[in-house]
Amino acid sequence: MEGMTYLAVAYFGMLVAIALWTWTVVQRSRRLDKRLLAIEAANDKTDASDDSKA
Amino acid sequence: MLFIGFMGIGTTLLLALLWAPSVSINAFESPAAQRIFYWHVPAAWAAFIAFGALFVGSAGWLFKRSEWMWRLHVAGSEAGLATGLMAVWSGCVWGAAEWGTPWDWTDVRLNSFGLLTLLAIYVVLGRNSQPDGVETRDTFAAFGLYGFVLVPLTYIATRIWTIRHPGPVVATGDGSSINSDMGLVLLIGAVSFTVFIIGHMMTSMRLTALEQRLERMQHRFDGGA
Repeated sequence: MEGMTYLAVAYFGMLVAIALWTWTVVQRSRRLDKRLLAIEAANDKTDASDDSKA
Repeated sequence: MLFIGFMGIGTTLLLALLWAPSVSINAFESPAAQRIFYWHVPAAWAAFIAFGALFVGSAGWLFKRSEWMWRLHVAGSEAGLATGLMAVWSGCVWGAAEWGTPWDWTDVRLNSFGLLTLLAIYVVLGRNSQPDGVETRDTFAAFGLYGFVLVPLTYIATRIWTIRHPGPVVATGDGSSINSDMGLVLLIGAVSFTVFIIGHMMTSMRLTALEQRLERMQHRFDGGA
């Protein structure tokens, strides 16, 4: 039974590792989406102020 | 896809732990550790898919200069690194329990797969440390292209030289040598890992596209300001 306990711990550790890997990838994607939206918003603001000056 | 794959992997491990039949105590030093095979084999299978994607992406970048292919190269190398490490690590755990040593420097399968994983480490770390440009892409795409030669070598290694790593138990040509319940768990594992790794590569390709778009916008914004 001891071997099965080690195995269960190893399996759990591997599952946690791939969950963490997936979570970091999804978080990176969300962060990039937010940065893109912020740049787009800033770009729109600059365009609008340029138009009003003209 | 990522979630479905992840749930499939969780189910595989649960089945491997609670449902899959035990192997003969006489045939193995450590029968419990044999169940690591339900993780090790599908992870190695997923690594071959990832290295295949790396090869296609590298060739596509070198010969067609396609941005989509470059994104496939990036996704393939990252997925190859992760699954390669999973297979190597689980193999070392089994080796330590069954052979009494985690690694054998004379075994062709172990060392060619280890080299493949090292290649993925080099491509991922090297690419991330260099500014993106045609020369950088050409260099790492060449590594991805020529490094692929290790994939068929790794595949045939246990068919030609059985040194320490066990020979193939499925797709051997003369019928499978494993129990049908074991084969079913292995099949669920292989399908789950395939779905998971394809989901990861698709997410990774989207990430690279977002990074490239962000860089272009930042350049335009800085230039316009």
